[in-house]
Order: sequence, then structure tokens, then C-alpha cells
Amino acid sequence: MRIRNVFIILCAVVFLFGLSAPVMAKVIKIGGLTDCTGATSDVGKDYALGLSDAWHYVNDTGGINGKEVKYTWFDYGYRIPEALTKYKLLKRMGVIAIEGWGTGDTEALSATVFKDKLPYVSASFSAHLNNPKKSAYNLFFAPDYSTQARANLTAWFEAKWPKHKDYGKRAPKFACVYNFASPYASAPIKAIKDQAKMLGFEIGEDQDVALTAIDTKSQIMALKKFSPDVCWHGNTTMAVSATMRDAYALELGADWLVNYWGFDENLPRLAREAAEGAMCAGPSYFFGSDEGIMKTVKEFAKKYTPGVPLEKRLKFTVTAWSNVLLLREALIRADKAGDLSGPGILQKGFETMRDFAIADGGLGTSPVTYTSTDHRSTGIVPVFELVGGKFNHVKTIDVKGRWPEKWASEWFGW
Amino acid sequence: MNKKSIILLILFIFLGVLFTSCASMQTKPTAANFKAPTVALDSVQVTQYNGYWYYGANIKPTKGKEGNNSAVLPLAFTFNITNPNSFPVKLDGFGFTVAFEDFDVNMVNAYETQWIPPGKTNQISVPSILDVRQALLGLLVPNAFKVKEKGTNAWALLEKWWTGIPEYNIPIYVNGGSATFMAGEEQKVVPFKAKFPQ
Repeated sequence: MRIRNVFIILCAVVFLFGLSAPVMAKVIKIGGLTDCTGATSDVGKDYALGLSDAWHYVNDTGGINGKEVKYTWFDYGYRIPEALTKYKLLKRMGVIAIEGWGTGDTEALSATVFKDKLPYVSASFSAHLNNPKKSAYNLFFAPDYSTQARANLTAWFEAKWPKHKDYGKRAPKFACVYNFASPYASAPIKAIKDQAKMLGFEIGEDQDVALTAIDTKSQIMALKKFSPDVCWHGNTTMAVSATMRDAYALELGADWLVNYWGFDENLPRLAREAAEGAMCAGPSYFFGSDEGIMKTVKEFAKKYTPGVPLEKRLKFTVTAWSNVLLLREALIRADKAGDLSGPGILQKGFETMRDFAIADGGLGTSPVTYTSTDHRSTGIVPVFELVGGKFNHVKTIDVKGRWPEKWASEWFGW
Repeated sequence: MNKKSIILLILFIFLGVLFTSCASMQTKPTAANFKAPTVALDSVQVTQYNGYWYYGANIKPTKGKEGNNSAVLPLAFTFNITNPNSFPVKLDGFGFTVAFEDFDVNMVNAYETQWIPPGKTNQISVPSILDVRQALLGLLVPNAFKVKEKGTNAWALLEKWWTGIPEYNIPIYVNGGSATFMAGEEQKVVPFKAKFPQ
């Protein structure tokens, strides 16, 4: 009896000590590959900071069904061998999904993530990544570059061309300016030319402008011979601003449509009046917006990245939040289904989304849908115009809704 | 076991618990009493010097593959982290941008968790690995206008940095740094920046 009492007391003490020990919460590991200092860092750093802020937001608002996210990310400086090495490290660390960056790392790793069945949410919106048969584990929230380009040209055709003095007298003239060798810059060219042909444009010769270009006078002189009404620029902000400045100085007189990563809050600072009237697809809010949850986005930027002033943050922070909150939703769904494996996150997470509104639409994104046969997130594309340093909404083009047959059968994967 | 032994055992356990509790008793962290730890750059070390060189993708190396290969400049940044509180704090995130002169060249994060005792200073050493090729692309694209405005060119800057930094006569900046600290349920994010040599 006495021994039993002693045993009970000892058990009680052990129990009390056990209760006071810290409870270990389960942790979900997510990896990140970014470019903060390499060739695409003018846009990549802001995106990287946005990813980090947004994962803090996820943890501060309940994590993944109560599980904490440990987000580990690296600046790979747009060096592909470094991206491959860091990918292997992240995989060894046991991450269950990766927030990737641009076309460089995304395409270099596409076959590997497909083989490894590791979801890879990227800031490369290439239409080549939409086909689950080829790249099932590459996903993103935005309409792909080709859909954005089709919408951008259509918006110009409907909003700007009718105001032109030659409207009704001749076909509008269109030309493309981009770095031929860049997969990002060349990705939507076939699609936008197809759209131009469909809308009845006369199409001029393409001009090759390097991503590193700061002098584009020879290309502008070549364009002047064709005298386009509107040009597409497929590069990133620095080369876009250099081209616009030369076009303005040499009085090209054409309007500009710009690819997603070439049109941001830095463009009017660099190109000034030469960028006036430029148009771009805006699949999520600009950083200066006060709509939706943008107040929260700014609060987290200020709190978790205090060394970077808010006035230096760009729309790519919002792009990053959109991709993070998309992945969060996929993880929540897969976790509820009890399967946080790569195929689980894909099939029980992403591919269960039907017109899902990321953050209840609070980041300005269109609702997304993913199926097992089609990873095009949406065909609804808002288009914006730069006026007096501000980004004004021109119109929203529903590419899928307007051309449903072409969307279904012709415009898939390019 | 007799009654006396049992009483002694219980007393022993009770005193053990009491002493342990007293030993670990300390001020509970709150938003009001949690003072921000300080982060200060102690030194920057060139951990291995490989010279200055670059060869383009059209040059066949003696061994290995062709490519835009170039000299790596590994640096180690050592910081002093001081906890002014009367309770321990956990360093839970640490990152910053490395700049040569006023050009950002690298961004690094440290993921090692460490506890800083009350009133003490810990050190953390953070490596930064950078090669000429990466810095070149950073100068040619995002910093192209800035390089032009300074009346220089990317190659001149790279040679100056890769030969001058090992001599510690080129200023190295730590920009946009943020360190996340935890104490109990409380969190503080501390910004920091520094220059070396000062």
C-alpha cells in the first residue's frame, strides 16, 4: 500500500513536469528561390521580400490549420547552377513546396519538380507551364503571359484605337520589341501576334532589344520606317524604360503595351513622360492601392522588412502575396484531406479550386480554377494605363469568355 | 519503505521542484518590458581569396564545362547581438543586403536559431558567396543607369572591387537588415545597417 502511494506521488510529479514542458507544434517546411541581386533583381528583390512578408502573415493568422510554416529562402542571383544546388538543399531539408522565381529557374527545374512531384509556385507566368501533362507541378495565380498579352492588345484596340485620327481609314500597325534570346520576353510573342492578326492589325518586323540595353536608338530608327501605332515591349523595367526614352526622344509616336515584369512603380521614375499612356495587364493590385487587404500588406511590409521603406516597395510584393495565399489555400485543403504529399497538394489542394477568390479577392486577383487537365488559372485580365504617374484601370478583358472555343481548343500551352 | 522514508522522499521531491522553479524564475516577457536587442557589425572577413578573373562561355577550360565562369569572393560577416533584457531572447530570423560602395550585390539570410542570455552579447557569423558573373549581371541590368550616371562601366567596378576588397579599402555596406527576436509570445523585428571598414 505504501509503495503504491509513493508510486502515485511520483507519477503525479512526472505528470506535472510533463505538462510544463513546451508543446511542440508541427512545422510545415516551404522553400524559396529568389533573385535579389542578379540580372532580374530590379523586380526580383521586391517579389522576394513580399514572399517573406506573406509567409509571416500566414503564420500570424493561424498557419496551415494550426501548423506553423517554416519558410527558408535563398537569393540565387539568377545563376541557374546555384538555383539547382539550392533546390537540392531545400529538397534534402524536407520542404513540401517551393516558391520559385522567374523563367530561368522555373524552366531549368520544371522536369525535376515533375519527377520529384514537388509543387513549384513561380513568378514565371509562361503559358508553357499550363499543361499538366508536361508540367503538372508548376503553378501560379495569374493569367499566363500569353493571355495577358492578348488582353492588353485587345484593350488597346477597343479603348485607344477608336480615338486615333486614322480609325476607320486603315488597319492599325503593330510591332514587337523584346529580347529574342530571353524565354521570358519571347514567351507571349506568338500569342500576341496571333491576337493582332485576329483583330486585323498590320504587323511589322520584330526588334531585338537586350535585357541589358540602355541605348536602343537603332531599333527605334528601324521601327520608324514601319511607323507603328502600338508596340509591345516584352522585357523588364530597365530595358523597357531605356526603349521608351529613346522612342520619345526620336518621336516614334507609338503607344506602348508592356509585359508584366516591365511595368511597375519604377517605370514612371525612370522613363518619366516617355512612359505616359503605357498599358499593362494587372492581375493583382499595385502597391499604392488601398483596396482590399492592401493595408495589411503594407503593415506586414513595414513590420517584417523594416529596412526597406514602403515608398520603395513595388507591385511585385502584391504578386508575391497572391502566390503565397494561393499555396496556403492548396496546403489547407490538402492538409484537411490528410495528405500533404506533392500529389496530395496538387490533387487535393490546387486541383479542387473552382473560381476560388484568393484572400476573398482582397489582392485584386481574378478567381482561379485548376483542373487535372488544365492549369490556366483564369482568363479574366484587368488592363491598366499609366497616366500622370498613376495606374488607371482601362478595362477588363475576359479572354476565355470572349473566345471560348479558341480558349478550349487552340490557345492551350503557348 | 517506512513512513519516515516516504515523508523524506516527498519532501526531497518538493524541495527539488521548489529550487528548480526558483532557479528558473525570471521576469515574464511582455510587450511593455521587451526591449529591442541591438545588432552591430563587428567585422567582415574575406574567407578565401581567389583573385579576379572571368572567362566567357566560348572559352574551353582545361577541365570541366564551358560557361561564364568567374572568381568567387566569399565573405563572412560577424555581428554582435546584445540582449538588454532580464530574460533570454531567441534570434528567429536574420537577413540583410550586401552592397559594395552603393551597389547591392548580394542578399543573405541566416536560419540558425540561437538564444541570447539576459544582459549578454552573442556573435553570429553569416557567409556571403558572390562571383563576378552574378555581380556583372546585377550591374548590367538593374543598375545600368546608375553605372552610367557615375561615368564608369561594369568591368571597371568589378576589377576595383575584386582587387580592393581583399585589401579592405573598398567600403562594404550592410543594408536593409532585419533581425527577428522572440521572447515568450512576444516578437520584435529590429532593423540594422552598417559599414565596414567604419
